Amino acid sequence: MAEFIFILTRQYNRLKSLLKDPRHDCVLFCNEFQLYSYCPREKGETQEKWHTRCVYRAAVWYHDHLAGLKPVVMITEDQHAVAEYNRLTSGVYVISTQEYLQSFWPDLQAAQELYISIAQVLQERESEGQEREYAEHLPAEVLEAGIKSGRYIKGTLKVNKHRAQQEAFVQADSSTKNTELSSDVLVWGMKQRNRAVHGDLVVVELLPRGEWKGRTIALTEAETGVEERTGEEQSQPMPTGRVVGILQRNWRDYVVTFPPWEEVQSQSRNSQRILVIPWDRRIPKIRISTQQAEALQEHRVIVRLDSWDSTSLYPNGHCVKVLGKSGELETEIQTILMENSIHVLPFSEAQLREMLLNSKENLWTVEAGEVAERRDLRTTHLVFSIDPQGCEDVDDALSVRILPEGVRLELGVHIADVTHFVRAGSLTDLEARSRATTYYLADRRYDMLPAVLSADLCSLLGNVDRYAMSVLWELDAKSLAVCKVWFGRTLIRSSYQLCYELAQSLLNNESVEVPELAQLGEVDKKKRLKELKTALEQLTKVARYLRTQRDRGGALELEGVEVRAQLDAEKNITALVPKQPLEIHETVAECMIYANHWVARKIQETFPQQALLRHHPPPCQEHFSQLMDSAKARGFDIDSCSNKALADSLDRAVDPHDPLVNRLLRMMATQAMSNAQYFSTGSCPLEQYYHYGLALKHYTHFTSPIRRYADIIVHRLLTAAIKLDKGMEPNETLASNKELEEIAQHINNKNRAAQQAQKQSIELFQCLYFKDKDPLTDQRCVAEAIIYAMRANGILVFIPRYGMKGPVYLKNRENQVVSLRNDGSCEWQAGMLQRYPDRICTITSNGIHAFSLFDHITVRISVQALRCHPDSLCLEVISDRLQEVAKLESLAAGKGRLELVQEVVRQAEAASQQVEEQERVPQLSKEEREYQQSKGPNLYCLLQEVRELALLDLSVCQGLGLGLQACIKSV
Amino acid sequence: MAGLELLSDQGYRLDGRKPSELRKVQARMGIFTRADGSAYIEQGNTKALAVVYGPHEVRGSRSKTLHDRAVINCQYSMATFSTAERKRRPHGDRKSSEMSLHLKQTFEAAILTQLYPRSQIDIYVKILQSDGGNYSACVNAATLAVIDAGIPIRDYVCACSAGFVEDTPLVDLCHAEETGSGTAVALALLPRGGQIALLQMDARLHQDHLDPVMEAAMTACRSLGQVLDGVVRQHLQEVSILTGE
Repeated sequence: MAEFIFILTRQYNRLKSLLKDPRHDCVLFCNEFQLYSYCPREKGETQEKWHTRCVYRAAVWYHDHLAGLKPVVMITEDQHAVAEYNRLTSGVYVISTQEYLQSFWPDLQAAQELYISIAQVLQERESEGQEREYAEHLPAEVLEAGIKSGRYIKGTLKVNKHRAQQEAFVQADSSTKNTELSSDVLVWGMKQRNRAVHGDLVVVELLPRGEWKGRTIALTEAETGVEERTGEEQSQPMPTGRVVGILQRNWRDYVVTFPPWEEVQSQSRNSQRILVIPWDRRIPKIRISTQQAEALQEHRVIVRLDSWDSTSLYPNGHCVKVLGKSGELETEIQTILMENSIHVLPFSEAQLREMLLNSKENLWTVEAGEVAERRDLRTTHLVFSIDPQGCEDVDDALSVRILPEGVRLELGVHIADVTHFVRAGSLTDLEARSRATTYYLADRRYDMLPAVLSADLCSLLGNVDRYAMSVLWELDAKSLAVCKVWFGRTLIRSSYQLCYELAQSLLNNESVEVPELAQLGEVDKKKRLKELKTALEQLTKVARYLRTQRDRGGALELEGVEVRAQLDAEKNITALVPKQPLEIHETVAECMIYANHWVARKIQETFPQQALLRHHPPPCQEHFSQLMDSAKARGFDIDSCSNKALADSLDRAVDPHDPLVNRLLRMMATQAMSNAQYFSTGSCPLEQYYHYGLALKHYTHFTSPIRRYADIIVHRLLTAAIKLDKGMEPNETLASNKELEEIAQHINNKNRAAQQAQKQSIELFQCLYFKDKDPLTDQRCVAEAIIYAMRANGILVFIPRYGMKGPVYLKNRENQVVSLRNDGSCEWQAGMLQRYPDRICTITSNGIHAFSLFDHITVRISVQALRCHPDSLCLEVISDRLQEVAKLESLAAGKGRLELVQEVVRQAEAASQQVEEQERVPQLSKEEREYQQSKGPNLYCLLQEVRELALLDLSVCQGLGLGLQACIKSV
Repeated sequence: MAGLELLSDQGYRLDGRKPSELRKVQARMGIFTRADGSAYIEQGNTKALAVVYGPHEVRGSRSKTLHDRAVINCQYSMATFSTAERKRRPHGDRKSSEMSLHLKQTFEAAILTQLYPRSQIDIYVKILQSDGGNYSACVNAATLAVIDAGIPIRDYVCACSAGFVEDTPLVDLCHAEETGSGTAVALALLPRGGQIALLQMDARLHQDHLDPVMEAAMTACRSLGQVLDGVVRQHLQEVSILTGE
């Protein structure tokens, strides 16, 4: 009973949130509270009948209310009701869902299919077997009492991706009483997991100590299925338990792949009930009833889970939407988006209608009212922007000048005033909120705001009037101490749209052509150029000072050349970002950090309970153990007690012969970091505001409102704070602490999803790139790799050329190990492995050979094609030395990814064109092409991507961070 | 009570009222002939009966006598059948005693006691059916009974409860709202002068929210005052017809 009510409330909440979303155009009518539609229940009337009668009465009332001008349709699954009411009143039609779909939406194929698959599931459920496969879940009261008394443990179930059949862990949540529990609880096998799915909130009971198991530490290929493991491959036994109840299902929609038709037929007698395999390995197979199995073979399909009874080995589900044939680029990209719960439909017409127009015929100009309200900086300030080459969405610009008296310097950061165009609560705002960020995939991007805003009206382009949100500091010209800060809305006109390289050349006094000055006369040009140069020089001076000031405050000293190189290498974008980082990058980044910091202070002061800030918690010390072990192998000592100590010790850990060692160590340190997160100040104690990476007490995101929703919220908070300062009431009500915390969580989740999607799309492209290359002959499949960690049956390596990490197995399934011949080449032979902390030895008849940490080896890359899961790359050691080829090629490193993306896209396009020609049917309508928002791999995309990578890195690894902003101003 | 939604997104309460809507009030005066004054009131499903005796000589211990004004004696009780679970003690338990005390304070503030030195006025109130807002129903019934008894009173005493759910003040709480919302403010008001005879709150409420809640409760009290006024006038009319004046 409890479960029943629970399901109801969940569905109720889901319905409620659907109704709330204005994009759905739904209205809830409280018929019981309305005089004319209310009808009391009659004696002896069943509840169901009464409800139907109530709904019908409401429908009739509505029909009368509209004076019979519009027919009203009432949908029910109750055939008696259809028969009873349909003819009663003209203009009010009572029909079944199926009839409704067929007669009103005959073109909506997807909806009809969905209906059929759900109907089938409902039917099937009645005819299910009685054999019990799993233990029943305990009732809710028992679970609650058990949790309170400490007998049971409550937590979220996480399935081990690599051993989805066996290992799952439950991380006890903080409310658990059982204090002797030092680690997560292991749940071993499907029976013990008792129908829980990855992500569910479950209750587990610990097994007696004698039945505890250890976790497996050997590398396994994901496909191996059940295999015998020997004791030595397991770690110490850890607390093991079984699931006794599920408090909350966290099912989402899953992407699955249909098996080929022959397989279906051979597998079961009933070819309408099919087992499909989810793309996510952590999810068990799903049973689906459908008649389309033949048409859908080897297609990727979105499936929703319906139920999992104790009598059924697998959960039941139904099809929701077909994505396409597996292996095609479009399908795979959609799969990645879906699996990360990213929904990006083209902007709807209603949303676009809210946008202002800016075309040749209908030129957008500043409004007079706004000019009066804003501070006009068009003539007084020299404003310029510095961005990567070809950037369209310029969301920040800078200015610097000496104030008339000459004792003060004024530094200005001007950010696109997105909130002026995107009103709180408008459709665009809701859409942006649900997207939370612009998504960058390997070959395309999905904007958070419609293009007219992001690339035009909001973008601070050169030589046009634009609204901005500005922070102006008055600094003492000598000491550079802050005397005064001004926040407010402004009107600016950017004079120069510089790119980083150009700005740096100007600083270096090289003679370069500034495009904006090309048409001017010699004298004029010289004057203007001098003006610009002075501004840039002053800016650099200020940024240097700010940087040292932050260092003194304990900021991480990570901004060495190494970090940039490491970052570049990790993401493999070396060719795109200059190896020698330009000082101007740092200058711009520093100004942005400064602006973010001051805005954070301002809104935190004004709204101590409801400001959106960003913090970066100190990392968990245990995460550093791998880093420390690896560093020790090379004789370095890593001190992780504070951010400064960590940075210093990383700086010292440099191997003069092998720059990669330092890179890898930094990479590992990055992995140990926790993620920076948004939070609402009201729900977090003051001491947790600290940003570990940047070493700042307050930090937020303010400088990129075009592509991050958090910045939009911060802009609104800042506007409200300015209004309050002027003694006016803010005209928009601000989100309360609770709402803000919800939004912050949402943005954090979306950011994580965006990163994940980007990572997966890059992997996808890597696989597609290697797919049609013959690993045995093609030189591009052979690359240099460096060992960075040891496992029981293999090693983990990093391939600098492609920026990939992956496992290399030294032992195969026949228990053969890799042995080396004298010339360094490898072969499989019977033998054994021996593992030490810093090396792993293979012992065969050829002798003993050791693979040590940070050794350089040569590997061959091949693609392991999988039907149901994303393809994966398979690495195989072919030599323990560097081959000549590999060396040569590593010189050209860096182009790897650029080349790779382009080539894959070209192939996909060629393939789709071919199909088009053959079928003579365009796959996409014109509209779709137009609003699809994805672009080809032009230079802008790539640069944009680089920029975004920097950002991602910051947020993932913040810590190191900091430095990282290395990257470009994205901070 | 997690599942109960006290205020829907459409702005309706559990029983279909809007946040500032009162329940239906029906009242009659002079229902008992033997008592000096009596009244019966229904506020939605809450029903209360009030009886007034006096002013008369102080009974019982003489020591209670006040030489400058009348003593007010209140007794509150609930019928055993008034709640969902049968009550064992209709009166005399802690809650009832507290309620009696509150009523006494309220009416000491409203009745012109100095007109009757060395005397006593008895007010007996009984809840016949309880569905939230017991205190307010008692006060409203007692006011009518006092008027029926012809005892001079400064103004109608009108009482109403108010709660705070999802940033919205709700007035005249029903039982489910009283138990589910956490906060309930009871307010007794003399509407003409706007004086507060009694204000009581047991649970916690943020200071910022107190003003809107009180404002809502006072508005509700004023409208109740009009209803009571209507009841008294109608009663007067009926009585005058009967007595043939």
